[in-house]
Amino acid sequence: MTLILKNIGRRYGKSWVLRNLFLEIKDGECLALLGPSGCGKSTTLRLIAGLDIPDEGSIYINGRDLKNVSPSKRNIGMVFQSYALFPHLSIASNLTIGLKVRGATESEQHQKVSSILTLMKLEDLAYRKPAQLSGGQRQRVALARALLRDPEVYLLDEPMSNLDAQLRESLRPEIRSLILQGQKPVVYVTHDQQEAMAMANKIAVMQKGNVEQIGTPNELYNSPASIFVASFIGRPQINLLPPESGIIKGIRPEDIIINENGINSKIIYQEWLGSSKLIMLDTPIGELRMITSSNDQIPECPKISWDIKNEHRFELTTHKRLN
Amino acid sequence: MKKNLSLPIIILLFWSLFPLLWQLYTSFCTPEALTHPLEIIEHRWTLENYRQILKSDPPFIRYLFNSILLGITTTLLTLVFSLPAAYGLVKIKPYKAKLIRIILFGIALFPYVLLFLALLEIARDLNIGNNILMLSIPYSALSMPLAILLLTSALKDIPSELEEAAKLEGLNLAQRLKWILIPLIAPATSSTAILVFIFSWNEYPIALTWLSNPDLLTLPVAIARIAGSSVYSVPYGAYAAATVLGALPVLLIVIIFQKQIISGLTQGAIKG
Repeated sequence: MTLILKNIGRRYGKSWVLRNLFLEIKDGECLALLGPSGCGKSTTLRLIAGLDIPDEGSIYINGRDLKNVSPSKRNIGMVFQSYALFPHLSIASNLTIGLKVRGATESEQHQKVSSILTLMKLEDLAYRKPAQLSGGQRQRVALARALLRDPEVYLLDEPMSNLDAQLRESLRPEIRSLILQGQKPVVYVTHDQQEAMAMANKIAVMQKGNVEQIGTPNELYNSPASIFVASFIGRPQINLLPPESGIIKGIRPEDIIINENGINSKIIYQEWLGSSKLIMLDTPIGELRMITSSNDQIPECPKISWDIKNEHRFELTTHKRLN
Repeated sequence: MKKNLSLPIIILLFWSLFPLLWQLYTSFCTPEALTHPLEIIEHRWTLENYRQILKSDPPFIRYLFNSILLGITTTLLTLVFSLPAAYGLVKIKPYKAKLIRIILFGIALFPYVLLFLALLEIARDLNIGNNILMLSIPYSALSMPLAILLLTSALKDIPSELEEAAKLEGLNLAQRLKWILIPLIAPATSSTAILVFIFSWNEYPIALTWLSNPDLLTLPVAIARIAGSSVYSVPYGAYAAATVLGALPVLLIVIIFQKQIISGLTQGAIKG
């Protein structure tokens, strides 16, 4: 049972916002669509949901072609960025309405809604209106609504971007286990690389309507397919050296080491990150970011180098990976 | 600040309420009292004016009933057609919607009095004069441009994600309208309904020309008949009593629904 996107294209007027998109997401797999705003990740989600129609290509859920299938007949559970709870209905009614139109009996509705409210620890809020809930609680209701109907596919559109950083981190493991429990394909849209790494077992990095690379978080970090992926994944950002005979080299800040035989540098400033610190170095090949343990004593003018194994090499014109 | 504003407000209230209060006062006065407003006379206060119009043939209550019936059918007819039209106007391409809105705006501003002769011809040809319910057809047609514009702006304010979420929950168009969209625009719908009702309540030229059977008259026509009933004098007292009774239902509606009317009319203004 899978969700398949085959050669999807979508254009507004003459400009393509998505082109030649191929994705395959299996049951129990969470694919994060990661990229800056305007890269086409939200459009992809809307196409899967049927809220937008592709100009090219086809979408299949479990082998069924979704062409001409209206959103209300697709059986998709979606969590919107704004949560999109119905403001005039109580939490319980927000959850019941989908079951009702799908013909569940009254006792079935009641039983399902009360069990999901218990699961999401929302029992006490059943008769409140969405406006009376905190951001985190609304988020849980939105998630509960998506989980309730046991849909064939889960779509999550920046589900945590309206929450504060602390709440976001504490919700991650919970949401992850809830959406993966269903053993259904999950598509998770985010612009936050940390969130993508934490939530997904596969990430598609997108830029200008194209997928730059699909892989596990590990693959993206250790062998980024392009300069864009290399600089989008990993914080602080990768160091890109000036081009040399048609090659751009990238070094991760944590791969830079102190070495008596290395090149000269001078500390411009340091940033305290807790267990580690970020050091900005001025070197003959430009400014470099370096991460060390915060206990390390670094001289004012350290000599630095890196292991050649840790170099990422990219082609100058295409920005594609060489090694 | 508050202190500075209270005087202008009092002046404003006096300015707009004085004619109404004078009408109320008149309706309880004997004819002698009206001609001698500042002198002390024996019989100043009376209920005779009310007694007179309530006992006339047909009784005044009849006209009240006619106007209420016409107001309700007009309002329902208008809403039944304007809600789908407004929804369609929100969904079609923006440039088309804009064109249609401009046309509607033009129609809404058109002085409808110019139409009454043409409408009378139509009523005669179709043989639908002297029928209270048929009168709601031109009334709702005349109310529709404004109703559509008001409802469109209310529907536009609903975030599109709400309707999309409803689609994904499996709601079809009718269910989305019934359970999500119409409840969400309830304030705008009720203020639109009241505006339409008041239009129908006040309308004069069409009602005057379409209705001739004394049993079928609407309030404005009936009241005008009272004023012109005698060649030698204007029965001010009865006339005032009729206007007071005629204003009561609308006054009640506005007092009960004032919150909805105001929030419905200002809904779009806040979000810009």
